[in-house]
Amino acid sequence: MAQSSLFDPQDTALTLAEYGLRIKQAVNTAPSLQAQWVKAETSDVQVRRGHCYLELIEKSADGGTTVARASAAIWANTFTALAARFQAVTGTAFGTGMKVMVKVSANYHEQYGLKLVITDINPEFTLGDMERQRREILERLTREGIIELNRQLPWPAAPQRIAVVSAAGAAGYGDFMNQLDNNPYGLKFYTRLFQAMMQGVNTVPSVLAALGKIAEHRQAFDCVVIIRGGGSTSDLNAFDNYDLAAAIARFPLPVITGIGHERDVTVLDHVAALRVKTPTAAAEFLIQRGTNALAHLTEVSNTIAALVRDTLAHAREQLAFYTSVMPMAAGNRLATERTNLVHSIQLMQTGITTLMMREQMRLEALADKVTLLSPRNILNRGYSLTMHNGQFVTDATMLKPGDVVTTHFKNGLARATVNLVKQQ
Amino acid sequence: MAEENTTITYDQAVTELDELVKKMQDPQCSIDRLSEYTRRAKELLDICKRKLTATDEELKQILAGIE
Repeated sequence: MAQSSLFDPQDTALTLAEYGLRIKQAVNTAPSLQAQWVKAETSDVQVRRGHCYLELIEKSADGGTTVARASAAIWANTFTALAARFQAVTGTAFGTGMKVMVKVSANYHEQYGLKLVITDINPEFTLGDMERQRREILERLTREGIIELNRQLPWPAAPQRIAVVSAAGAAGYGDFMNQLDNNPYGLKFYTRLFQAMMQGVNTVPSVLAALGKIAEHRQAFDCVVIIRGGGSTSDLNAFDNYDLAAAIARFPLPVITGIGHERDVTVLDHVAALRVKTPTAAAEFLIQRGTNALAHLTEVSNTIAALVRDTLAHAREQLAFYTSVMPMAAGNRLATERTNLVHSIQLMQTGITTLMMREQMRLEALADKVTLLSPRNILNRGYSLTMHNGQFVTDATMLKPGDVVTTHFKNGLARATVNLVKQQ
Repeated sequence: MAEENTTITYDQAVTELDELVKKMQDPQCSIDRLSEYTRRAKELLDICKRKLTATDEELKQILAGIE
């Protein structure tokens, strides 16, 4: 048994700590594992007490499965500087779901296990990847012919009814509301908040849900404003999303994005009708539309006033002209009329004279005729006329015996009594 | 007027205003029509100004009522 005790595994067995020390020696000093640039994707990024803890993962080409995974950390003494540089270059805070190129040193600790300590980050790599993603999304939106749709929507002259997509209580939302409500022009705005998560993994579904709700009530609004809280971190990665960009592009109302990005733009900014840098700028744009509308009203008002003034002045001028011209015109007219009258009178006089003369001649002729036909003329020619009771006796039956008749001659008369009446 | 304020939109009112101005600028426009147009323009201007600067309680309530 002693021999067996010679080979007793208990004698050669290491404690875990002892073994761990061996790993530590092998790993922590191996040149191939130290200060090596590695491409990976970030996951579960958390910052605790200034240190950044995360998982580095690699996914299969189709993105379905994780083919490699390792815990990693960026110690506080380097993280502050690295994070600042990363943000400066990419315009985005270092966070989850990013393609990164990091300089790692494998560090094994018998107590905490294997950890990849990140000592440097190449932000250009991430930027390149983000840009590639963005470009792919934009190319797809262009290919599908929807990228310009929201930009082509007509703006109402004065957008006043505004659907706001934001996180409630966010500083940016407060800034936006303050700016609108305290505008010095007395413009009234009507806003309705549709709450959404503006950062983190739920950003896309919650903004999509808010947009869906607004679309149901699109008649009640003039435009949509998507604004972010404006907190310290600006994880904008979530906004480089095809589904969200397509939803905004197809949205039936003009969309303003004010998701707070100084350097770079997200794909949403490419499809939205208007992109502004801050929530305050979004409010300023709306106020500007309102003041433009007010200015237009004043302009129209002035134009009309000027038109009325000019037209009245013109009319007055015309009136003055007529006033000055009228007496002369009237004088001329009167002279003409007078001439006409004189002429008419002359004509009339001539006419009357002619008429009179003609009448006279006619009367004379008539007189001749009458003279010719008058009983006196007949008497003169040797006839006589017998009258009875003031009537000429022209018929034997008009008389009976005993009637007294008067017979007229050219030179006198004779009265006789009728003795006999005989009819033939 | 209050009724008209709710039935006509700002954009409609402004469009009508612009058309009125065009008509008034026509040299053929008679003084009689001019005063008629001016009256209507004044009405529309008031509507527009009110829409921009007076609080519409009804509209406020409509938006607040959206679930």
